[in-house]
Parts: sequence; C-alpha cells; structure tokens
Amino acid sequence: MKPGAFLKALGASLWTTDPQRVAKQYLWGGFLFLLVGGLLAMLIRFQWAWPGQPVPGLAWALPESKGALTPPAYTAVFTMHGLLMIFFAVTPLLFGALGHFVLPLAIGSPRMAFPRLSAFGFWAYAVGGALMLASFGVRLGAASAGWTSYPPLSTPAFTPGLGQTLVTVAVLCVGVSAFLYGLNFVVTVVRCRAPGMTWGRLPLVVWGLFYGAVLNVLFVPVLAAATGLLLLDRVAGTQFFIAGAAAVGGGGDPVVYQHLFWLFGHPEVYILILPAWGMVGDFVAFFSRKPAHGYRLTAGAMGAVTALSGAVYAHHLFTSGMAPVLGRTFMILTLLISLPAEVMFLNWLMTLWRGSVRLTSPMLAALATMIVFGLGGITGLALGAVATDVPLHGTMWVVGHFHLTMGAASFLAVFAGLYFWFPRLYGRTLHEGLAKAHVVSSAVLFIAVFGGQLVAGYAGQLRRLYDPYQYTFLEHLLTLNRWTSWAAFLLGAAQLLFVVNLVRTLKWGRASESNPWQVGTLEWTDAGPAPVVLRGPHELSQPEVQRQLGRDWIGQAEPLPEEVPAVVPSAKVEVAV
Amino acid sequence: MKSSPDPAMSVLLGASTAPSGSSAASPGTSTAPPDAQAPLAVAPERGAWTLSPPENASAYGDRIDALLARSHGFDLALAAVMLGWMLVAVVRFRGARTVAPDGGTRRSRAWVLGLALGVFGVVDGTLFLGSEGYLRDVLWNFRVPAEDPRTVRIEINAHQWSWEARYAGGDGTFGTKDDVVTWNDLRVPAGVPVWVQLVSTDVVHGFSLPAFRVKLDAIPGRVNQTWFQAAREGAWEVACYQHCGTSHYRMRGMLSAMTPEAYASWLHEAGRQAVQAYDADDAAAHWGWAWRTP
Repeated sequence: MKPGAFLKALGASLWTTDPQRVAKQYLWGGFLFLLVGGLLAMLIRFQWAWPGQPVPGLAWALPESKGALTPPAYTAVFTMHGLLMIFFAVTPLLFGALGHFVLPLAIGSPRMAFPRLSAFGFWAYAVGGALMLASFGVRLGAASAGWTSYPPLSTPAFTPGLGQTLVTVAVLCVGVSAFLYGLNFVVTVVRCRAPGMTWGRLPLVVWGLFYGAVLNVLFVPVLAAATGLLLLDRVAGTQFFIAGAAAVGGGGDPVVYQHLFWLFGHPEVYILILPAWGMVGDFVAFFSRKPAHGYRLTAGAMGAVTALSGAVYAHHLFTSGMAPVLGRTFMILTLLISLPAEVMFLNWLMTLWRGSVRLTSPMLAALATMIVFGLGGITGLALGAVATDVPLHGTMWVVGHFHLTMGAASFLAVFAGLYFWFPRLYGRTLHEGLAKAHVVSSAVLFIAVFGGQLVAGYAGQLRRLYDPYQYTFLEHLLTLNRWTSWAAFLLGAAQLLFVVNLVRTLKWGRASESNPWQVGTLEWTDAGPAPVVLRGPHELSQPEVQRQLGRDWIGQAEPLPEEVPAVVPSAKVEVAV
Repeated sequence: MKSSPDPAMSVLLGASTAPSGSSAASPGTSTAPPDAQAPLAVAPERGAWTLSPPENASAYGDRIDALLARSHGFDLALAAVMLGWMLVAVVRFRGARTVAPDGGTRRSRAWVLGLALGVFGVVDGTLFLGSEGYLRDVLWNFRVPAEDPRTVRIEINAHQWSWEARYAGGDGTFGTKDDVVTWNDLRVPAGVPVWVQLVSTDVVHGFSLPAFRVKLDAIPGRVNQTWFQAAREGAWEVACYQHCGTSHYRMRGMLSAMTPEAYASWLHEAGRQAVQAYDADDAAAHWGWAWRTP
C-alpha cells in the first residue's frame, strides 16, 4: 500500500461518522479507562488495608518510596479514580458506546441526526483522555484536589503543577463530548424515529438514553462554566473562587463553585443511571416474556426523576452553612425524588410476576443491577434528610451509597447491555456460562465491597483519609477494611472472566443467530431500510401472535399475516398525527 | 518573650508544630491544671463487624442515633421485601409455561402507585418529621446557646492542617489581649452549650466532632456556626471531613470536656498567660472577629 493510501485508510478508520463504528471506538476507549480507573481503585483499597506499605509491583512508578503510596500520590490516585470512572469510563460506555449503537437502530433510523458531531465528540473525548493519562507523567503529578475539585484547594495556590491544569482541560474536553452526544441523541429521538415509532412505542432504554441526553444538554454546560472559571483562576490570575479568610475578607467565593458543581453533579448521577434503568426495564420484560408492567408509569417516573434531578442537588451542601430555608427545601425535594424511583422499581418487580423468567446473562445482569441499585437507593434515604445526613456526611457511608448506585448499578447495566447486544454488535456469540459467572461474581463482590464501605462509614470512617487509623475512634476498623479490600481485589480479578470471554469470542466465537434473544425490538428484527412500526417494544407472549406465527415474539415492524390491511392504515394515521 | 509555653505563644509556634497533629504535642496542653487533665480518648472495645456509630458524647446525639437506627430498620425491611419478591418471582416463574400477556391491569397499576405512595409516606415521612424536629429543637435552634448565660463561645480558624481555636477570655470579648488561643486542643465545660463560629484561612475544611454528631464546613470568606453540648466529661477527637490537601488525614485535634470549675480555672490561667505574651505587632495572630449574632 502506498503511504498516501495508507494514511487515507487510517484517517477513514479513525474519523468515522457511522454510529456503529463510533460506538466501538467509545467501547474500547471506555474499557481502557475502566481498566486504569479500576487499577487505581485497587491502590486505594491497598492503602486502606496496609497504609503506607509498599504496593507489590509499584516500585517502577514510585521509586522514591519503593512502591508505597505517599500522601500526595494517594490524593492523586483517588482524584483520578473518580474522574476517570465517571467521565471517561462509565458515561462513555453507557452513552458513547451502547447509546450510539442502540439508539438509532432501536428507533429505526439508519444514522444519527448529526453524524459528524458523533465523530467530533469521540475525538474530543479521546483528546481529554490523552490529557488525563499525560497528567500522570508531569512534574508534581496528576490532579489531586478530589474529583469535585473544590477551590481554593484546586487553585494554583494550593495545588500547583501542570497536572491539575491538564485535568481541568480534560474535563472540559469530555464535557464537549458529552454535550455533543447529548444534543445528538435528543435531536435523533425527536426527529429521526421511523414512521409509527410513537413515543409510547419506544423501548425503555431509548427513554433512558433520551432523558439522560436531555440532562447532558442542560447541565454539562453548567459544569463547563464552573470548570472554565476554575481554569481561568488557574492560568489567567482571576479570582472567581479564591477568597481571603473571613478575618481578611475580599476576593471571590468558593461556595459559588460548589453550587455550580453540584447543579451539574447531581444530575450527572442520574445521567449515569437513567440508561441503566431503561435497560433493566426492557430486559426484565424481554426475559419474563411479557410486556413491561405499567410502561407509561415507568417512562413517566423516569421523566419525573429527570425533571426533579436538577432541583435536589444542594443535599450535597447540607453542611456548608446553608440558610435553613434552603436546607429544608432541598430536603423535601430530595425525599420527593424517591417516589418516582419506587414506582419504577415496583413496576420492574411486577413485570417479573406471572411471567416466564429466563435467567440469561443479560437478565442476570439486569436483576443484579436492580439489587445493587435498590440497596444504593435505600441507603441514600438517610442522606436526604438533614439531621441524619450530618453524622454520615463525608463518611464512607456516602462512598458506599453512591458506588452502589452510579458505580455498581451502572457497571452491571453496561454489562447487561453488552451481553445483550454483543451478538448484534460483533456478530458472534459470547460464552454464556462465562458471562453468567462474571455477572454473578461481580454483583456479589460489589455488594461485599460497598457494603463494607457502608459499615465503615456508619462507624464514622471519613472519606479520602490516607491513613484512617490516625484517628483513635477508627482504629478498630482496620480488620473490616482489610476484608473489604480482599473483596475488592477479588472483584478486580473476576473481571478476567469477561476479558477471557471477550478475547475468546472475538477470536474463535461462533457466528450468532440473527435474533438470539427472540425479542421484537428493531435492532434485532431486520425490517428493511424503511420500517413502519406497528406496536410497542415488549409485545411478547401475545396469544394472537402465537396462534398465527407459532412463536412468542413479534417484530415491532412485523405485520401479522391475517391483519395486514387492518394494521398498516392505522399506523399511517399515527404517523400523520 | 516569655519562655514558658502558653496558648498565645502557641499561635507563633503553631506554624511548625501544628501539622504534627496530636494534642499531646500541642503547647496548650501543658497549661492545664492537673485536675483538668482529661483522660485520653480510648476506643471502646467494639468488634469490627458491629454496625454502630461512634460513641455518643452529645447531650442531644441520642435523637439522631434513634432516627438513624430507625432509617436502618427501614433499609432492612425494604431490602428484604425487594430481595424476597425477586427471589420468589424468579423461583416461582422461572420458565413458566403460561404468561400473563399484558402490561398490568388498571388495578395492578393502582396497586403499584398506592404501594409506592404508602412506602414513601411512611419512610420518607418518618425521616422528614424526625429530621425536622431535630433541626427545630437542636441543630438550627441557636436560641438555646444564645439564651443560656453559661454558653461558651469559640471561634475556630481552620488551616492546612490544624484547628486553631480562640476563646474570648475573662473579658468576654473577642479580639482583645486576653484571648486564649489553642491548637488542635478544644476545651469545653460539660453540660453547657458550646457555640462555635468557624472560618478557614486557606482551603475548605470540614469541622467534625464524630462523638457529638457535629459537622460543619470551614469555608474561606464566610463565618459558619453550629453548637453542641457535652453530656459528660471526657476527651474525644476532632476530625476534618473535607479533602484539604496532602495531610488532610492528619488534621486531627482533641476536644476535652471538663467540669465547669476546671474549665473556668484553665481559662483564667490561660488568659493570664495570654496577656503576658501578647504581641501587638504579630498581625497574623489577630485573626479573631467580633462575635456574629445570628
């Protein structure tokens, strides 16, 4: 191949506007950062089990301490763990990979509304990711002010060095990416649905992606504002968030940053969970072989959570000295958001009831997502009320709670989606036994790890402590934390089950059937280039379908043989509406 | 300059001694009369697996603990219902031959809404009312410390990485010569309201007294306040709960609750020494402010 042709081919493979290929780019990027973020988590767990001891095999990275984490290294490790997992692993896997893959297929559109925005968004994400990785190599190390980057700690006065600046720019880059796919998804769902694909016939995962995309469009710009102002404070000498001591006075106000950050930050946890909820809703229906219970209620409940999500954020600031009227308002709004979540959860449980449950790997992952999300949700109740938040605020209880919801639940949902759509994505069949073992072991170990953190937090252990046992009142928690760490190491090792499965399948896996799960959504049922959608996403076990077709599923755009004349005109009427 | 260690001097020494952390190293400790020496905090014998909060030393902590215990009861009940329902559904309906081919009936959907509203009403309602009562009576009720003539007022200035506390001294006014300043060494009388006003000199810190169920952010540029009351004499730890830099984990202080008499004699002696050591030119030591009334 001539160099010119090679470069052209390389460019074509790197710059792609095909949503399926963009999805694969995000998939591999997300896996890379999931690996890096996961390894950093192992370091944090090692530190809490053997504080200041040399980490086996880490001497190459920290030669001066012979591989032991030093306090500055530790602060960088937990900061980068949070940022990488949230912005560069889980969100890109849910939206960038699964979203780009399934959203256009599931609504019967051959492409995204703005194909080039997809390509540009991925490269904004890739540049951000490269900056994140580069920050580990600069003098004074990577960012270390916590994933929240509260000023004044995150300003150059207290965190000098290029690392924190690079990471601030990286967050802006990934914000551009998240805003662009958010915009793209919203417009695609609104404008590009196939004829007959009414709002009431969208798969629940499309609802989840749509609501999450709306939140991205609304609130990522708020993050960009906060991060942009912080960047100016870092590089241009402004003082938006730098204040003198009260005794001195003057300057900007760090609390403004906290409000801006959490006005984005709380919707972000719903961004991370809404697509997961959608997948659970769909998969529970698919693998109970019946329509989702209360489809409209579930979609409506997800919408209610979306609407409320920007109005609860200040429960993160209950201890910031807020005016009591604000504290009460945010307490009521926060407690209120549990109501739609309960409706949705009960609908999932009702969907299982009187169905025909099939424990496939995506179903096991969906059930596991339900369990860890449920546990994470109920342990958050005490954090929503001011009085009970105070003793738990800033402790490992909070860490356990949000890791169960936006960590474990989102992670398991990513794998539910991957195990479900992998045959469609790569045309090959994963090993079902390995997939099930991966899902079940991960779920059990997630509960062990984050359950251990909940217990430590209830006993008072504060977050982000290099050596928690400096405090006498936490000394007795060392044994518990060691057990939790062992569970975390096992959890890390359990991921090999997935890696082995993936490599094995990509190399030797047999070709998959065209509709292995026997469901009717458009990504599985080839309905031609211009499908006309006739029915909802979970029309399973319908007696009329079974009588005419002899199977328990029917494609969303598949006419029933005996009803062709009756159904199509009505669909056209709906298109006109 | 006097050579004897005293609280005011500890302000000057503090820059070098403070990061080393413990109350034993704090110069303020040595000024205490012998009878005021509080016992060192000893972690009570507790197994690692008991789900229990830190020891409660607050006069009002029982109310929070009871509400938390109740919320855990709800957590357990909800988790049991969730897991039980799933388990029964999966075992009973796994591979079932007949399926109810609908998305629920009006009645089943009404049940879902009703059940959700019921759970919401009971669980969230209990948490809201319990929390509201505690906020009204204790956490946000500054009338208690404001109206009690015995109330002790403390100004705390958080630094990377120590707690600097200022007492008004005998004249009851902050920012005067007899202000008593300590490092990582809070002293309060037991059974008396303690009113804290809190600032930070550098980054955001988190002032917490785990044994008193107290947490409040120390934020540069604003004065935050909270109050608490020690139920008995003893010594407990002060901890920072906001990430504040590399030595965040060492931002530890001690709080000693003493008899009111021992506290009064300590404050008197420390104030006397503070007056002797007062240095009008040391601007950095004069960070106190006129007490803010809410």
